[in-house]
Amino acid sequence: MSVEDSHIDRELCGDNAAPYVLGALTDYEHEAFRLHLDSCAVCREEVAALQVVASALPAVAPQLNAGPELKRRVMASVHEDVGSSEAEERALSARSRRGPRLAWLQWRPLLASGALAAAAVVIAVLAIFSGGGGSGGARVIHAEVIPAHARASLRVSGGHGQLDISGMPQTPAQRVYEVWIKRSGGPQPTDALFTVTAKGDATVGVPGSLNGVKVVMVTTEPLGGSKVPTSSPVIVARLS
Amino acid sequence: MGGMFNSLRSGGGSGSTERLRVLADEELMQLVYRSKADAFEVIYDRHADAAYSLAYRICAQRALAEDVVQEAFLSLWRSRARYERDRGSVRTWLLGIVHNRSIDALRRRAVRDRGIVHDEGLQERVAAPERTDLDVARREEAREIRDALEELPDEQSRVIELAYFGGMTHVQIASMLDTPVGTVKGRMRLGLAKMRMALGDPAEVVQ
Repeated sequence: MSVEDSHIDRELCGDNAAPYVLGALTDYEHEAFRLHLDSCAVCREEVAALQVVASALPAVAPQLNAGPELKRRVMASVHEDVGSSEAEERALSARSRRGPRLAWLQWRPLLASGALAAAAVVIAVLAIFSGGGGSGGARVIHAEVIPAHARASLRVSGGHGQLDISGMPQTPAQRVYEVWIKRSGGPQPTDALFTVTAKGDATVGVPGSLNGVKVVMVTTEPLGGSKVPTSSPVIVARLS
Repeated sequence: MGGMFNSLRSGGGSGSTERLRVLADEELMQLVYRSKADAFEVIYDRHADAAYSLAYRICAQRALAEDVVQEAFLSLWRSRARYERDRGSVRTWLLGIVHNRSIDALRRRAVRDRGIVHDEGLQERVAAPERTDLDVARREEAREIRDALEELPDEQSRVIELAYFGGMTHVQIASMLDTPVGTVKGRMRLGLAKMRMALGDPAEVVQ
């Protein structure tokens, strides 16, 4: 980068560090500045300096008591997760005792088709594996994602789902991501609307039970969400 | 850590929870990683009030704030495998989730009176008095941070509060205040820089 380029960059980004750490850039600006940080040590340094102040701001809020009922709700969900994980682990353990050959035989007709693309889709969409190494035994379904470099998985535990997303682009201005579920009919909206972090990450709970749900998908919608999808899905996780 | 965790791993119930309370958050997260609900309960007890306070400050509705906090803690629990201590404290990570989700909830529900702390139920929900030295230290740090913010010129503290607690973009703030965008950004930068000066190095100040 030339001195001139550096000067231009500095002028362009100099005052974006503060709104960046406060979450006050528009989506487009946020994404552009995030990319800019990769190449601008000055801005990285400024962001690091201001971020510590922004991280301390929660202390400014009047301190309140969360109350016992909220704790009961949270811990009930946690214990439910633990219980269902243990049950799933037992089921997986029993399945593994029957031998891995069964699983291979189940997939063999699909793989035998020889179509690499089809196999890739099968792997991407239906790759379900036990959650060792800390996933607590939850069922994890890898989703199809656009763009291809992004990643998304649906973690299913205790009849509930959570999308773990990384590398997704920021939504355009005045738009958010919306989660949809499909049972037998068309997609049903949920109230799960979200944006992603500067790194494109998000962890989003799928509202309600996943009983009978065949597909969980995400589209980009106007602020406030839509009742029917207005854009093509960018994330599709198939449960069956 | 082996011996300590081995002895804790076999425990259960409230006795175990009491022994867990002496552990640091980062040590607790290693147990949470192994799906230990009692370790997670200690994390919850330590940070629930701060999480709820932040959510309520942003959402200004008790039910909405409770939903946000519940989602944030369950996100922490279900994403426990992704926690990396090198990237910041558990509290900072959690409050970051709460902030993002509160802003999302605010935009989703189109709450127009954001930034205003309602009186609804506050009297019975005010945090309990300090119980531990850590509580006392946190209160003192919080007071210093509040002081640093309040000592800023009004135009600087206002843009910081509208952005962080109001979930507004600098463009929206500029429009609301009828002020150029560049001025708003400059006030944010100056305000944060002055706070940093006033606080010394507030890195991980509220742990």
